[in-house]
Amino acid sequence: MNLDGTATASLVGRRQFLTVLVGAALAAAPAHARESSEPFRIAFANLNEDPTAHLDGLGFTGAEVRRSFELAARTLPVELIYYDNAGDGEKAVANADDAIARKVDLLIEYNDDIEANAEIGRRMHRAGIPVLALNYPVPGAPLYAADNLAAGRIAGKTLGEFARENWADQTVVAVIAGDLGNTAPYLADRVQGITEALQQVLPDIAVTRLDTSGNPVRVQGLLGKFLAAQTRRKVLVAALDDPTALAAKEAIERAGRIGDCAIVGQGVDRSIHGGASEKKELDPSNRSSIVLGSVAYYLDRYGYEVLPLAIKMLQGAEVPAKTTTKHILISARNVFIEYPPYDMN
Amino acid sequence: MKLVALVATVAFSVVASLGGTVAAMAQSDCKTLVKASPFGPDDETGATNRVTPAVTKAAAAEIQTGKVTPMAFNLVDGVPLFGTRFTKTVLTSFALVPGAEYGKNKLSYMEDTYLSQSHVGTHLDGLGHIGIKDCYYNQTPMGKYVTQNYLKKLGIEHIKTFATRGVIIDLVKVFQDAGKLKANAACTSPCLDGGTVITEADLQAGLKLYNVTLREGDAVFLNTGWGNLFQQFPKQNAAYNSSEPGLSKSAGEWLADQKVVVVGADTWAVEVIPSEDKEEAFPVHKILLTDNGIHIIENVRTDLIAAEAASTKRATFFLSLTVPKAVGLTGTFVNLEAIQ
Repeated sequence: MNLDGTATASLVGRRQFLTVLVGAALAAAPAHARESSEPFRIAFANLNEDPTAHLDGLGFTGAEVRRSFELAARTLPVELIYYDNAGDGEKAVANADDAIARKVDLLIEYNDDIEANAEIGRRMHRAGIPVLALNYPVPGAPLYAADNLAAGRIAGKTLGEFARENWADQTVVAVIAGDLGNTAPYLADRVQGITEALQQVLPDIAVTRLDTSGNPVRVQGLLGKFLAAQTRRKVLVAALDDPTALAAKEAIERAGRIGDCAIVGQGVDRSIHGGASEKKELDPSNRSSIVLGSVAYYLDRYGYEVLPLAIKMLQGAEVPAKTTTKHILISARNVFIEYPPYDMN
Repeated sequence: MKLVALVATVAFSVVASLGGTVAAMAQSDCKTLVKASPFGPDDETGATNRVTPAVTKAAAAEIQTGKVTPMAFNLVDGVPLFGTRFTKTVLTSFALVPGAEYGKNKLSYMEDTYLSQSHVGTHLDGLGHIGIKDCYYNQTPMGKYVTQNYLKKLGIEHIKTFATRGVIIDLVKVFQDAGKLKANAACTSPCLDGGTVITEADLQAGLKLYNVTLREGDAVFLNTGWGNLFQQFPKQNAAYNSSEPGLSKSAGEWLADQKVVVVGADTWAVEVIPSEDKEEAFPVHKILLTDNGIHIIENVRTDLIAAEAASTKRATFFLSLTVPKAVGLTGTFVNLEAIQ
């Protein structure tokens, strides 16, 4: 596809039957069917596979994202080549160079360094290899991304409606808890979504922000103090990630304020939904929990969402410039539908 | 599969929300959710109806040398189980202490109590184990037939017999021969990795290895090598439970089309975990148990019979397996052996 969005295709062997994707779009190179039964060779450069690193302000690890690609690839005509960007822009560029050297058919780039992404976009363009960006834009590449604003709104709306239905005659305040010092745009969007939705349902509600500086356990001290000062009020807690939601619940239990609080988390990582036998917070048998639910981001299913897009691009089908995650609230009522627990055997 | 706790949990929630009346459980139109039994509307037996005297007689011809190969793991505290599952053996009564003996011949005795769920160790899934909503095998609306203690329909007491021919399919060899074996580093002998999908083509390739054609009434066992992790208990319990290689949905349908009576494997669910479709829970269980009345046996020790098949070039045997006439149970731990 050319810069103006029109499409030209140069068919240079099976792996280069598409031209580079340039322009916001749309990856819709003219359809050239694969000429052989060989699988597409797709490189996936993961954000960070350090087991201690959590991705995008949520409770997921790089290993979970990678595993989702491995599992999704089982029934697709693809051969995957994996890279770990290790949260490092230079490493990401080096990985892209390696993918070029290996003449992959397409690169899926998950990298949060904007400058590095610009460089990767240029290099892949020169090499004639299309790119599909994950969560962070790469110039000229279609993007698959979380919609943090929408996810925040789901949490805010859930909490607001809970308060309206259950505490209509009470004074209600709200807390947003999480890594608020982090300037990443995704966190700002999440906070904005929560705030907007809360105020839409409860126009007069006061919203207090508790910054954990990225350490969820810190919410316990911060929330403990806050609760002590709010003795006659009901408190809605919007946590920016699940570990913070769980730590907040502990703080509320310690303060003896279970009856005065409700929590919604973000992410739905394993720490909160666990499995049938692990008896985690979101569990069909735990419907009375003050953790009303958590908004799903499905990082552990990215492979299932992203690989079909990549294949569409390689088949010359049109894909949108931006595809967003379909976030929903996961609660005790639907957790086993959304996340069938393997360990229920 | 040990869905007992989940079923209990869900049942409890439903019962609690309805004021304790089990009969008040919501009922679905089971005719749209589950296939009808080919053995009639009152059938509670399922596929073991296919084990006719002729099938048993033909299976008996498999006994040629008399060699017996074990196919069950020892049932002992510490084998892979999931968080809330347990096994606990307690020696509850003994008369070894002086003065406690009986009679002038000083007879002594011992007894024990075994506490566990029925779906532990090498175990068989009964037809009351898996359904879609409240619909179980033969379009049975199970909400009407559940008591606090047991099932009033589809209990394992209705199983006819497993005196039939067994067939071992060595998927490790199939994948090795095809050059596509992706092993798991935790296995100390060759194994298919967790998440590996076994297709009907793989099954057919495994049958071809030893020139076997499946016939109605057969019991089929899959050697994936994953059972090696079970044998390493407790060291690899978490790895064993985390995923597994297993049947695809289409492979499950293909086995059902062959009219087999049992599908077993050296894994904890027989089917591939995670499932091919991320939004489906245990779809092969539904195909085999709920739609076709085919029993599933999990945690089968298949490595010994696979090795035997490799050395003798015989992958068929007479299956020695019986289950207790335990009324209303959804499953039971079992012992099974291959006799050749």
